[in-house]
Amino acid sequence: MAITYEDSQEDAALRSNRWLAFARDNANILLIYFFIFLLVLIASIFSDRFLTASNMVNILRQSIVLGLLSIGQMAVLLTGGMDISVEQVSRLVGLVVATAFAASGSNPALILPLVLGGIFIGLVMGGINGVLITRTHAVPFIITFGVAFILRGINLAIATTPIRGVPDVYLNVYDAKIGIVPLNVIVMALVWFLAWLFTTRSRPGRSLYAVGGSERIAMLSAIRINRTLVSAYVISSTFAALAGLFLLARTGVGDPSAAEGLTFQSIVACAVGGISLYGGRGSIFGTLGGVILLTLLANFFNLMQVNIFYQQLLLGVIVLIAVAAYKTKDLGAL
Amino acid sequence: MTERLSTNGSSETILILNDIQKTFGGIHALSGVSFDLKRGEVHALCGENGAGKSTLIKTITGAYIPDGGTIQIGDVSYEVLTPEQARNLGVGVVYQEFNLLPDMPVDENIFLTNPPMGRVGLIDTKARANQAYQLLERLGAHKHINPNELVKNLTVGEQQIVEIAKALATNAHILIMDEPSAVLPSRDVERLYTVVQALREEGVGVIYISHRLNEIFDLADRVTVLKDGQSMGTLKVAETNNDELVRLMVGRELTDMYPPADVEIGDVLLEVHNLCIEGMVFDVSFSVREGEIVGLAGLGGSGRTTIARAMVGLAKIDSGEIRYFGQKARMNPASAARAGVVLIPEDRKAYGLILDQSTRFNITLPNLPQLERWRIILKRNEWDPVLSAIEEVQLRPPNPEMPSGNLSGGNQQKVVIAKWLMARPKVIVFDEPTRGIDVGAKAEIYTRIREISRQGVGVIMASSDLPELLGMSDRILVMHEGRLAGEVPRDEASEEAIMLLATATETEAETVVPN
Repeated sequence: MAITYEDSQEDAALRSNRWLAFARDNANILLIYFFIFLLVLIASIFSDRFLTASNMVNILRQSIVLGLLSIGQMAVLLTGGMDISVEQVSRLVGLVVATAFAASGSNPALILPLVLGGIFIGLVMGGINGVLITRTHAVPFIITFGVAFILRGINLAIATTPIRGVPDVYLNVYDAKIGIVPLNVIVMALVWFLAWLFTTRSRPGRSLYAVGGSERIAMLSAIRINRTLVSAYVISSTFAALAGLFLLARTGVGDPSAAEGLTFQSIVACAVGGISLYGGRGSIFGTLGGVILLTLLANFFNLMQVNIFYQQLLLGVIVLIAVAAYKTKDLGAL
Repeated sequence: MTERLSTNGSSETILILNDIQKTFGGIHALSGVSFDLKRGEVHALCGENGAGKSTLIKTITGAYIPDGGTIQIGDVSYEVLTPEQARNLGVGVVYQEFNLLPDMPVDENIFLTNPPMGRVGLIDTKARANQAYQLLERLGAHKHINPNELVKNLTVGEQQIVEIAKALATNAHILIMDEPSAVLPSRDVERLYTVVQALREEGVGVIYISHRLNEIFDLADRVTVLKDGQSMGTLKVAETNNDELVRLMVGRELTDMYPPADVEIGDVLLEVHNLCIEGMVFDVSFSVREGEIVGLAGLGGSGRTTIARAMVGLAKIDSGEIRYFGQKARMNPASAARAGVVLIPEDRKAYGLILDQSTRFNITLPNLPQLERWRIILKRNEWDPVLSAIEEVQLRPPNPEMPSGNLSGGNQQKVVIAKWLMARPKVIVFDEPTRGIDVGAKAEIYTRIREISRQGVGVIMASSDLPELLGMSDRILVMHEGRLAGEVPRDEASEEAIMLLATATETEAETVVPN
């Protein structure tokens, strides 16, 4: 921190208070990492396979899809909105790309154009969400919910059974490793870093907070409200498209049930990480914590071979506990 | 406290605070304050922000438990008073922020917590409407306010009366009013006075907190001045004056508040030609020059605030034009800010600062482009100007990471000013620059405004505070019913001259040719 103070006493007090202030201002985030620590502790007691290097790498890899969706969701939540359509966008991209691969006889030359095409679908869907919301001034939840339903219909029309025919080269990218660390985990770490840079140190990132904090004040401060809102939904849908492309590489098929339930999980990851559902507040570290916590839970349950019903039930309970641990004011209505 | 009140025969004391002590983390918020309230008395409480007014009020309502001293209500003395006890003992509060449900009718709001019950345990709606009517009648407002009307359809002044009625519905005979006039347009203040008078005649004891000293002289019987958690004394209003109160509050004479007008006036920066806005402002023309402070006076509803907002494109212009630096301006806040014309608005919470965010975030928000390098806001680019801006406006505490919502009103206003100073504006429009700000911070803000003008910035200052306009302005434009009623140069300005124009009849109004 590039602060230099000359006054002694008052500022020494201020400095020592700064740690306290940091703890107070970031209580949400510290709390979530405390939960993560607790869970790792419990999990390593219950399962000797949990705290192994390969399982840790595995968890990081498992967190990628939720991470992508949650970063996008966070952008929207910061503006005070919500994007219900993300899992349908992921699915649509997976299905369209898989269909194109299948129709071309698994031609590897199509990988780059189809990946770009998939991202383009994300951009367009985000643009549609954003324009509908800024033009109608309707509640974002309802608009994106409607769009999600339309996409659901389209997805069902494209396929009801998994589509095969994704070229092997595409799948190999998923398995590429540097040492024992998968390439995709390294790339994801870079994505998190860029997301941090974007939210804290860029103008469009600050604009998200400003618009979510107060549209009027943001407008008076020369922030373009509509551009910021549309950009939030474009970010969200584009990250959803990336998640769809990644899922396609992971499963190897265009799956009409891909990303099931991940919209809700992305919102929960953000909310548990302290992103205010009223907009304007929260940090990328919170979102990262939320994503890691949810992934750890799923991993732990799988290792313990907990029945899926109980997994869902326990997940719900833990979400409620985590949310109740925060002040309702900080979280909004979850 | 044996003094008798000359204005009121009764001197029955209904509330006595004796030697109240309260500390927060080693800081004495109240150190031995004594205070008493009589039946049928309006007892004003004044002091700078942080003087201990709120703390004192909260000990009376039971929100804070004092560390020492006693609270006597009626004949019983309490060391610990719970909020429920206080309510049952007849303590009612009208806060600045109303606690009304906008989509519910007046009578339901008044009896929200204690509705009259019928036989089978259901609310007796007829009795509720009747009792609400009676309460409004006591306040002399039964002709304006229908108990069945939804609260959201009422004016702010009417809502405040409902809030008062709500406090009285719990049989309050000690009513605390926290800056009741701060939220009101000036035409409603008169009605508030009537209500307070009615309460006094009924025998309700009113504790009236206000920053506006003239209200204390209009309304109160006695006044207690707090400073730094201590009572500076309780005075009979009839036996004191403005200067004495200000001296007690801040320990300085009123005349020191305004810096001298010693700035050389330069070229025209902003011109307004024949401006008409939304049926609220008609054919207004004026201009602002470098280094000049132009006051904008007028009663509430005269179009004063509308003009201030129109300068940065926040009002729809029907005809006429606004020129920045000789060029026709694109009228929206973003373009205005880029051109160097900014508005420092009246309502800091709604228009000035994002209260959840840090001072650093707020100060830099409109200034991000100048901090960027390769589209990234560099930490050193951000912190250096923020720290120097904080030092320049003497923010207290000088912590850039503290959420702005935790600052006092005066310091919030300093952050708003710092935010726009960093944008290096050429014209600043202030709308009510010191509303709700304590006297000490006011003086600092006046000094700041004069320094801004000394740097060649043109200032428009719209205000309902006449002493402030007289003390600061190089000339004062006076609005009356949407029209410019006249212009008063600094050396001819007096409260009488301005009020005459502001309340002008048709014959007295004159047309002013813009320069």
